[in-house]
This record gives sequence, C-alpha cells and structure tokens, in this order.
Amino acid sequence: MADKLLEVSGLHASVDGKEILNGLNLTVSPGETHVLMGPNGAGKSTLGNVILGNPEYKVNAGKILFEGEDITKEKTDARARRGIFMSFQSPEEVPGVTLEDFLRVSKRAVTGKPLKVFAFQKQLKKTMESLSMDESYARRYLNVGFSGGEKKKAEILQMLILQPKLAILDETDSGLDVDAVRIVSEGIRQYKNESNALLIITHNAKILENLKVDAVHVLADGKIIRTGGPELIDEISRTGFRPLEEGAAQ
Amino acid sequence: MMEEQLKNINTLPALTWNHLGVNRAKFTAQRPEKRAAVPATMPEAFAKIETGMGKEAETFAEQNCTAYHVIEAEENQEYTNTDSLRYSLTGGDPVVDVTLIHAHAGSRVTVLQSYTSGDDSACFHGGLTKIIAEKGAQVRLVQVQLLNSAGRHFDDVGFLLDDGAHAEIIQAELGGQCAYSGCLALLQGYQSSFGADTIYLGDGTRKLDLNYVARHTGKKTASEMKASGALFGQSDKIYRGTIDFICGAARSTGHETENTLLFSPKVRNRTVPLILCSEEDVDGQHAATIGKINQERLFYLLSRGLTEAEAKQLVIEAQFAPAIAKVPDESLQKTIRNYLGRRMQLDG
Amino acid sequence: MSKVLQKDQIAEVDHSLYDFKDVEHPSFETNAGLTPEIVEQISRKKGDPEWMREFRLKSLDIYNQLSVPEWGPPIDGLDMRNIVAYVRPDTQMHGKWSDVPDDIKNTFERLGIPEAERKSLAGVGAQYDSEIVYHNVRKEVAEQGVVYTDMESALKGKYADMVREHFMKLVPPTDHKFAALHGAVWSGGSFVYVPPGVSVEIPLQSYFRLNARGAGQFEHTLIIVDKGAYLHFIEGCSAPKYNVANLHAGCVELFVEEGARLRYSTIENWSKNMYNLNTKRALVKKGGTVEWVSGSFGSHTSYLYPMSILQGEGARMEFTGITFAGKGQQLDTGAKVVHAAPHTSSHIVTKSISKDGGECTYRSAVTIQKQASGCKSSVSCESLMLDSQSRSDTIPAMDIRNDDADVGHEAKIGRISDDAVFYLMSRGIREEDARALIVSGFAEPISKELPVEYAVEMNNLIKLEMDQESAPVC
Repeated sequence: MADKLLEVSGLHASVDGKEILNGLNLTVSPGETHVLMGPNGAGKSTLGNVILGNPEYKVNAGKILFEGEDITKEKTDARARRGIFMSFQSPEEVPGVTLEDFLRVSKRAVTGKPLKVFAFQKQLKKTMESLSMDESYARRYLNVGFSGGEKKKAEILQMLILQPKLAILDETDSGLDVDAVRIVSEGIRQYKNESNALLIITHNAKILENLKVDAVHVLADGKIIRTGGPELIDEISRTGFRPLEEGAAQ
Repeated sequence: MMEEQLKNINTLPALTWNHLGVNRAKFTAQRPEKRAAVPATMPEAFAKIETGMGKEAETFAEQNCTAYHVIEAEENQEYTNTDSLRYSLTGGDPVVDVTLIHAHAGSRVTVLQSYTSGDDSACFHGGLTKIIAEKGAQVRLVQVQLLNSAGRHFDDVGFLLDDGAHAEIIQAELGGQCAYSGCLALLQGYQSSFGADTIYLGDGTRKLDLNYVARHTGKKTASEMKASGALFGQSDKIYRGTIDFICGAARSTGHETENTLLFSPKVRNRTVPLILCSEEDVDGQHAATIGKINQERLFYLLSRGLTEAEAKQLVIEAQFAPAIAKVPDESLQKTIRNYLGRRMQLDG
Repeated sequence: MSKVLQKDQIAEVDHSLYDFKDVEHPSFETNAGLTPEIVEQISRKKGDPEWMREFRLKSLDIYNQLSVPEWGPPIDGLDMRNIVAYVRPDTQMHGKWSDVPDDIKNTFERLGIPEAERKSLAGVGAQYDSEIVYHNVRKEVAEQGVVYTDMESALKGKYADMVREHFMKLVPPTDHKFAALHGAVWSGGSFVYVPPGVSVEIPLQSYFRLNARGAGQFEHTLIIVDKGAYLHFIEGCSAPKYNVANLHAGCVELFVEEGARLRYSTIENWSKNMYNLNTKRALVKKGGTVEWVSGSFGSHTSYLYPMSILQGEGARMEFTGITFAGKGQQLDTGAKVVHAAPHTSSHIVTKSISKDGGECTYRSAVTIQKQASGCKSSVSCESLMLDSQSRSDTIPAMDIRNDDADVGHEAKIGRISDDAVFYLMSRGIREEDARALIVSGFAEPISKELPVEYAVEMNNLIKLEMDQESAPVC
C-alpha cells in the first residue's frame, strides 16, 4: 500500500479549449481531510471532474496518481472502482432508474462482488435513517424531482454505501438549510475513518465544524496559491480571498 | 379575370393520413394583367433556395410578378427598409411581389413588408421573398398582412443561412379571406440560427394555412419557432411546423411551440408539429396547447373590473406582444393593436 | 417461471427462442396470390355461413380497388402475389393441451405459454399460422358467463348473432387496403364476451405464432365487454425468421360498453421479415375506459395505430406505448383517438428508441368533433436516438372542431446525455452498462405497465440490443 492516496502533479486542464487548471499540485494521504477553497471560477469543480476523468475536460499536461498508480488516462468507471468518489454539485437526474436499483448496480460494480441482498437492504435502510431521508426515496427515480437538499443527501448516501477511499465533496453544503447542513456533516463524519480521505470543496466553514481538518488549500487562477492549517479558514472568513490572490500575484 | 389553381402547396414534409386534410393545400391565385419587368431568370444564388410553400407558388410569383425588388446589403453594413415595401391594394388589382434580399457577410438587415386593403374590393396578393444571409449576417424580415375580409393572400418565403448567420421572420397574418403562407429556412452554416414568430387571427370564414420548416444541415445550428393565434367565428386554420434534423447537423437544437386560443364553437383548428431526425446529437422539442382562454386568468381580470371583451383583448395582446414589438414601425404596431381591439369589441 | 424469464437464456430471447422453425406439413394450402377462387376456397374450407362468404368476396373487391397509402414506410418488399393467404395447420382445435400435436405443442412450450397459463392467466388461446390450435378458459371464469373461444366457433355457435352484429363494423373493409384484405381472408383469432358487471380478475391471453414461410396471418379478435364489466386481455405475437416476407394483417375490434373497462396489452415481437399491417380499434360507450399498452419490438415494417372512438359521454382512453427499432426495421406506430362525445378524455404517452439504422416514426391523430365539448387530450412522446445511422420522426396531428377543448401536446427528441453517462460511470458503472441503464430507465414508465413477464422480456431485449456496439457515423 502506497503511503500517498492521491498525488496530482503539474496538472494543466482545459474545457472547450479554455485552460482552467494550470500547473496544480496536490497530495492527499490516507486518513487526511483536505479543504479546497477559492473564489468562483478558480477551477475547484474542474479539479474534481479531472480527478474523476470527465471526458469534457482535457488534461494537457501533468499526472494524477492514485495509490501510486498513474490513472491520468483511465476511464471514469475504472477510477470509481479504484475507490474515488465525487459528490456532485448538481447531480444528474436519471428517469426510470430508482435510487435503490442504482445503488445496487454501483455497489456491485465497485466491489466487483455479488451483492448480499438482505445485508444491503439493511444497510440502505439504516443509512437513510441516519440521513433523515424518507424510505420512499429509495423507490423514486434517481434525483428526479428531488429538492436541492434531497439531492445532496442522496449523494452522501451513495458515499456511505459505496465506501470509497477518497471522497471529493463538491460544494455539498451549498443551497442547504441549517438542519440539512448538520445532517450532511454528520454523514461525512460517519464516513471518515483512518484509512480513507476527504477532499472538501466549499465556500462555507459550517460543514467543517465537526471534522478534523488536516490541510486547507486556496485555489486561484487554476493553481494552489496557498496551503495552510485550519486557521486559514478563519483568515479567509475574515478577509476574503482578495488579499491572498494579491499576495500570490506579487 | 385569369385564375390559376395551385394544387400542391404547403406540403407537409412527411405525409400522414389523407383524411386529416393536412398533407397539402390548394389555392386559387389570380393573374395580374400588367406585369413588372423582371429578369428572365432569377439569379442562380436565389434560384436554388427552397421555399415553404413549394415550387408551384414560387413559379407563379416569378411568372406573374408586379413588383420586383432586389436588396443588397454590403459587407458589415446596416440596411433598413421599413417604407418602400408596403402595399395598399385597391380596385381589385392583383399584387404579386418578388423580393430578393442578399445580406452579405456581417451585414444587418431589417425589412418590413406590409399588405393592406385601400378599399373594400376583393383583392389578391401573392408574395415571394428569398433571403441569403451570409457569414455572420443578421436579418430580420417582418411581414404584416391586414387585408380586408374579401382578400386572398399567399406569402412564400425561403431563407438560406451561412456560418454564424442569424435570421428571423415575424409574420402577422391578421386579415383576408384566405391567408396562406409558408417559410422554409435552410440552416446550412455552422452555428447559424433561425427564429420565427408568427401571430394569426382567424375570423369570419377565414382560412389560414401555414407551413414552416426549419431544416438543419449545419453543425451547432439552432431554430426557435413560435406561433400564437386566436380563432373566432367559423375560421379554419392549419399550422404545420417542422423541425428537420439532417444527419450531420450535430449539436443542433430545434424548438417549436404553438398556442392557440379558441373563441367560437364553430372554429376548426388543425396543428401538425413535426420533428424529423436522422442525427443523434440533437435536441428537438415541440409543444402545443390549444383551448379556451385560461378561465382563472379571465376571472382574475374580470374581478378587477375589466369587461370580458377587454379581458380577452388583454390576454390576446399579451400573447401577441413579443411579435408585435418586433414590428419596426410604431404607427404600424398601433394599427395592429387597434385592429385587434376592434375585433374584440365585436366579440364582446 | 417460464423460460422467457430465465436470465441465463437472455441470448435466446431474441435470436433463438422465437427463431426456430417447425417442418411445414400443412393439410391444405392455397396457391400464392389472391383471387376470388382462393377466397371462395377459404370460405368453403372454413364452412363459413353464407353472409360471411359474401362478406369475403365483397372485401376482396374493395381490396382490389384501394391503393396502398402514400404515407408511411415503404412496403414494396411485400408482393401480394407471393403471399400464401391461408395456411391451415394439420390439426383441429383442441381444448386439452395434451391433444395438441407434439411439434406445435413444443413450439408453444418453448415460448412458455402453457406454463404462463397455469401460473397467471384466466384463459389462453394459441393460434398457429391461420388457425387456433388451443383454447382454454378457467372453469370459474367460464362459470361467470365469460365466453372465450376461437372466432370460427363463435361464428357458428350460440353467439353467432352477436358476432355478425359486430364483425368488422368498427373496422369496415373500406377503411384501408389491408382492412379489406383482412375482410377477404381473415382466419382464426379470438372472441371474448364479458357479461354485464363481471370483473375478470386475472388476464386472458392469446398467443399468435406464424410458422409457415412466406405466409400471412389474418386473425380477427373481437371483444365485447358489457356494461360495468372489466377485462384485461393480453396478446403476444412471434414468428421465426425467414428471408422472404411474411405478412400480418390482423384486426382487433373492441366494444367497451357503458361503464366498462378494458385493458388491452400487446407485445409484438414478430421476426424481422414481417410486414405488420395491423388494425386495432375500440368503441367506448358512456363512462367506459379503454387502456392500451403496446410494445413493438419485432417486424421489418410496422403500421400500427390503435384507434379509440370515444362515443359516449365521459368515455376515456389511455395509450401507453414503446417502440424499439433496430437494424433494418421501420416501425411506424402511434395512436388515434376520436372524441365524439362531451367530456371525454384521452391520454397518450409514448417512447421510442432507434438504433443501428432502425427507423421509428411516432404518428398520431387526435380529433375532437364539434359536438364533443369539454374534452381533454394530452399527448407526450419522447424519442431517443442511439446513433446517427438511425432515424426518428414524430408526426402528430390534432384536429379540434370546437372551442371548449383542452388539448396539450409535447414531444422531445434527443440522445443519451453525456453528463448522465459520466455521473453513472463515476459510481463505477461501465460505459455500456451506464448507457443500457439509461435506456431501460427511459423505457421504464412504459415497461411497468406491461404484464410482468413481458416487462422482464422487454428489459432483456433492450439489454441485448444495447450490448451490441453501435456505430457513430452517418
């Protein structure tokens, strides 16, 4: 087992011919929680998409290693089977496929093993309860007609069921009311253990309250311009990104 | 008086059951005695442009033309014509106008054509307009038809769009005994786009027969066709709207909507919205709603003290407003509103 | 569970399960092509009553006068001179499964029919080529006065007058060329009568199998659901693949009396050399309901638009349909409804999928007549294109003749969204599986309306089709 879970080095990526990431470096080890902050348009969501190999984004240079292996050219599903997960900012609606069926198919896919039906159902029920999700959501079509909050909860539910090694949470707290943020952050705490890792993309310190944060990165113009400890969060809350960006520019 | 039967016009691009009577239309056109001096053949660039009503209507207009205009908008120039293509029909003399508009690259063109009756005589108008919109050109063609209730009218239009060109047609078919029109846009150029805003009013025994086609062959092309109308009396209307995605027109979109308000138990409304598709990577949608005026909205307006006629007028005007606002002449906008107002008073 | 359901036999569902041929040894076969002599011969062999003999000859006349439609997919591949109008299997009709000859019995057993009867059906009819070979109805259902029999018996038995009163009254031979053909050469099919107030709780099913090469099947289904009664009728169709054209020109006439409800489900999986020119029509009286559920997967060419005439006040129709056209298929399907009475309503939902050069056309007509005030109609159709070799057309028409109507129509056409594929793949699902999942999801609202064994079969068909790599070029 490699001591590094994720190693991103010199990453340049573009979408529709426009370069969004230019020379990004990031290393995440098992057990760690990293927070990625930055102004709108800095490339935060792009990073998540590139780590998962979204074909809309083109990698122009650099490398992504996962557990020491180069996955830069791998397809999305293969990366997911390695244990990378992303909670989407606005997850797709998939009519006709129920949340439960979907979870079953993906659980089978990531574990590569046949599903133990009763154990699965028990786990699903319990996890939904812990997220205060009504049972009926399991039988509803994936994300179809879900409110913003329910969509986010459904993403966290998937994370808890699939148990990835690295979970990237892309603005999972945006658009949630206070209660929902609490539930979601409880879900995240439930997921976290010593061998897995979190990369949390957020604007908001609230969701981090119960988590031990190991590193905070500030992303601007497609690069990490500053890395620090949890204290950086307070600094940003006070002064915003502007001074950091200006500092980086000089 | 010389008449000519047009037997196969406004043909539905993909046929369906004959008993519905929507596959094609017939029309009795009237030949003028005096014709304009017109070149023997249409310039080749225009000759190849297909129109919405089809070859028969096109040929009739060419051979019987009483007014011939060629408009050239030079590269990157702005050209606006809102007064010289306004026809007032009098004394029963047929008017057949042929207008060719060539919008060169980067030009911006606005053309207004209007057809009104100068007296009560039974009149005939036939029109053919062809438009070439070259690279990046922007063309707005506005046609307003307000003939008297004995008027017979057909209007045939064809567009050809090059890369990045945008063309739109605003058509108001508000008068006449018969109002037949057709428009075909060939979206050939990369990222070209086409918009159609049609408003129509059916009244008395008026027959309206409309045929719109947006044919997408270029990549990333977009069309948006909207039709909106109100039917009174014993009017009879057919609206055909076709989005045709030809294989190769990847990443194109085509949207079409029709809203028809029905105001008399004797009207007949036929709507045939087609999507034809041989390209996978497209997004096509159409929607139609046909029915009475929304009763809740009507009630709301009545509860604010409006008479029924006023309330209906308000609803229809609101529906027509976006198209009317695009008529590049304020006095003509006012004429249209007054015309609608008078009609509504009759009904109230 | 029937064979069709077994997972390990998925590959058989399409390719071999239906695609086996029995050795042909019919007792009697007409010459190819259609003449008054052939029609007379059919009539004589079948022992028609006189009125039926005349009806057939008149229909043949009409057939010769009518031309093929100018719209719709081409049917040039169909040469009527080559169609053996009538093929009669070498057996009589049986009421006991064990009496059915072995080869025919094997066919139906491979299709899972007797199994299904034991499990979940109130009655079963099986037609092999032109004749019904098996008909059975559960005792308790028969005791309620429900009649379920083959058309030939019905024509001569106790219900002869009822049959004569209704036969091809809803679909007259003058309707179109293939209705006329049907009138001339029809053979086989089922007759169902449900007495007033009787609710048949479990479905009846007829299964049609066309085995003979280059033959035609012209079964006639006549169902009368009397006042306040309820019936669910299931129709299944299949044939092996030959490389000459086969023709199916069946006719279904449904009479839904006051306050009655009829659900009519069809799964059509004819082989891909079949010309399926079928006519289905329902007449719905006051407060009655007809529900159509239709899955079209097979055939080379289909023209299929079940029509509902809402004749009584408050009558309703619902149509739920799915069409999947693969390589070489041109499936022109949809629905027609005529609102002929006030406060009637119609609701049409369809989906279509085109793949590997397959062509789907959705075609419909909604007519609201002058006297039919206060009617509602909604239509929603969605098409999915899986590649650019394929084609998908939407050709709806609405004809509204009064102002007190509420008519809505929406249609969409598109492809599998890249974002949705990426989302599913981000959960570890392989690209092909992600696409198949999205396609099944697209079909789900329709498949959940199908009888369960057909829904499973349909999902298997979709999965099978999706597993074949599709080419992206034009």
